[in-house]
Amino acid sequence: MTRANSQQLTPERVRSAAFSPARLGRRGLDEAQVHTFCEWVSDELARTLNENTMLQEEVLRLRDRLLKGRGNSGIQPEDGHVQAVYVLSKAQQTADRYVADAQNYSREIAEDAHKRHDDILREAKVRASMILEEAHASASRAARTVPETQEPLPAAERQELEAEIAYLRTFSDVCRTHLRAYMDSLSRSIAEWERAEQDAATAARESRLQPSQQALSRRFHVVVDSGRRK
Amino acid sequence: MDERRLKESFSRVAAYGDEVPLFFYSHLFLSHPEVREMFPVSMAGQRDRLLNALGRIVSDVSSHDALVPYLKGLGRDHRKFGAMAEHYPAVGASLLATLAHFSGPTWTEELARDWTEAYTIIAQVMTESAAADENTNPPWWGATVVGLERRTLDVTVLRVAPDMPLPYIPGQSVAVECEARPRVWRFYSMANAPRADGTIDFHVRIVDGGSVSGAMARHIAVGSRLRLGPPVGTLRLDTASPRDVILGAGSTGLAPLKAMIEQAAGLPNPPRVHLVFGARSATELYDLADLEKMATQWPWLTVTPAVSADPEYRGESGTVADVIGRRVPLAGQDAYLCGSSAMVAATMGRLQSLGMPQDHIYVEDYGWSES
Repeated sequence: MTRANSQQLTPERVRSAAFSPARLGRRGLDEAQVHTFCEWVSDELARTLNENTMLQEEVLRLRDRLLKGRGNSGIQPEDGHVQAVYVLSKAQQTADRYVADAQNYSREIAEDAHKRHDDILREAKVRASMILEEAHASASRAARTVPETQEPLPAAERQELEAEIAYLRTFSDVCRTHLRAYMDSLSRSIAEWERAEQDAATAARESRLQPSQQALSRRFHVVVDSGRRK
Repeated sequence: MDERRLKESFSRVAAYGDEVPLFFYSHLFLSHPEVREMFPVSMAGQRDRLLNALGRIVSDVSSHDALVPYLKGLGRDHRKFGAMAEHYPAVGASLLATLAHFSGPTWTEELARDWTEAYTIIAQVMTESAAADENTNPPWWGATVVGLERRTLDVTVLRVAPDMPLPYIPGQSVAVECEARPRVWRFYSMANAPRADGTIDFHVRIVDGGSVSGAMARHIAVGSRLRLGPPVGTLRLDTASPRDVILGAGSTGLAPLKAMIEQAAGLPNPPRVHLVFGARSATELYDLADLEKMATQWPWLTVTPAVSADPEYRGESGTVADVIGRRVPLAGQDAYLCGSSAMVAATMGRLQSLGMPQDHIYVEDYGWSES
C-alpha cells in the first residue's frame, strides 16, 4: 500500500486499504506503510475540514446576497454585515462572562460571610452559657469556703454577706477573664479572615492585571530607549 | 398571515437557543448604535427575556384575547426603558434579519411577508398602548429615598417619596432602578397601602451575588434617587369575597401582604385576617415588631411568626406551610401567598392537599414582567 498523491482519498479506499505483512522476524503489518497511510488520511481530513469552513462562509455570503436582493417585503432587513454581528456577539458574550464571574465571586464571599456569621453566633451562645456555668460553680465554691466564726447572730449575718460578696467577686472575675479571652480569640479570627480575603482579592486582581501591565511597561521602555537615542 | 407557518418557522429558529437573541441584539446595536445605552452591560438576562416574550407572542398568536393585553402591557412597560415609536422599525428590521439568518434556505418570501405582517401588528398595538399611556402617566416616576432602616444582615426597609403621585393597588409592585446600577430594573412590591403623603415602603432583601439588591440595600442612602416603573401585578385583596383571609409570607414576601392588611384596615367591615410570617431564624423576622403593633391595634388581625431553622426558637417552629396547616382552620378562607418560589409552591401544595379549592388561593404573580 502506498500513498497515491494524484488520487483522492475516498471512504472506499480507506475501507479497502491493504498493507503488506511485516518483514521476516517481525509480527504484524508493515509499520512504514501504515504510517504513510495515516498521514494521508490526516492530511485529507484537514483539507476537507478547511474546505467545509470556507463553504459555510460562502453559503452565509450567498444567503445574505439573496436576502438583499429580495427586499420587497415591507420591512427591509438592513444587513449589518454578518461577520460584524458575530464579532460583536463574541464581545458581548465575553462581557457577560466577566459580569457573571464577578457575581459568582461576590456570591461566594457573601455566602462564606453568612456561614461565618452563623458559626460565630452559635459558638458565642455555647461559650456564653459555659462561662456562666463555670462562673456560677466557682463562685459557689468561693462562698462555701468563707471561714465560719464563733460570734453569734449579727456575725452569722455578716458571714452570710461575706459569702455573698465572695460569690459575686469570683463570679465577675471568672466572667471577665473568660470573656476577655473569648473576645481576643474572636478578634484574632476576624483579623485572619480579613487578611485571607484581602490576599485572595489582591491575587485575583494581580492575575488579571499583570499581562497588560507588563505589556504596557515594555512599550514604555521602548519609548524611553528610542528617546535616549536621539 | 399563515399562523401555522409562523409557528413552525419560529420553532425552527428557536431551536438555536441563545444564539438567536445574541444575533438579534448584535445586529440591532450595529445598525443603531444609539440604542445600546438603553440596555445593561450584561445582556444574558435580557436575551432570555426576549426569547420568552417572542415565544409567548407566537404561541398566543391565534388567541387575541390573551395576546392583546400582554402586548399593551409590554408597550406601556417599555416606556420606562426610553423606547420611542421610532425605535420599533429598527427592532423589526433586526428581528427579520435574525429570523432570515437562522432560517437559512427555509426562509421564503411568504415567510418574510408573514413575519412582517405579524411584527407590524405587534408594533402597532405596543406603540398605541404606549401613546395612550402618555396622556396619563410619565414613562417612569423619579423618587427620593427619605428613610432607610437596616433591619437585619440581609433586609433593608426603604421609604421613598415619588416626585409625583404614583397610584397603585395594594399587592402590586413596580420595577425599580437605582443610580448605582443603571439600566437594570428589579421588581419590588409596595409594602403599604397608598398614604396621604404619597410615600412608599419597599422591603429589600439582599440576594447573595445579586447585581441589584446588594446595591439597593447597601449603597443607597437617604437622599438617593431612584426610578420607579408603572405598577404591575395581579395580586390583590378580593374585597368582595365573603370569606376570611389567610396570608402566608416568606421573608420579604411580606411586603405586598402588609399593604393588603393596611388596605383591609380601611374597609368599613374588615375580614378576619390571619398572617403567618415565616423566616429561617427569629432574628430574620425583620418586621415583627410593627406587625404585632398592628395586631394590637386591630382586633380582626392575628399574627403568627413561623421559624423554620432555629431549634432554640420558642414560638411556632416550621415553615409557613407547616404553621398554616397546624394552626389555621382553612374552611371559609381565602389564602394569599407571597415569598420565594419554593415557599409559594410548597404552601400552595399543602393548602390544596388539605382541601382548599384552587380558586381560593392567590399567589404573587409578576406575569409578563417576571425577571
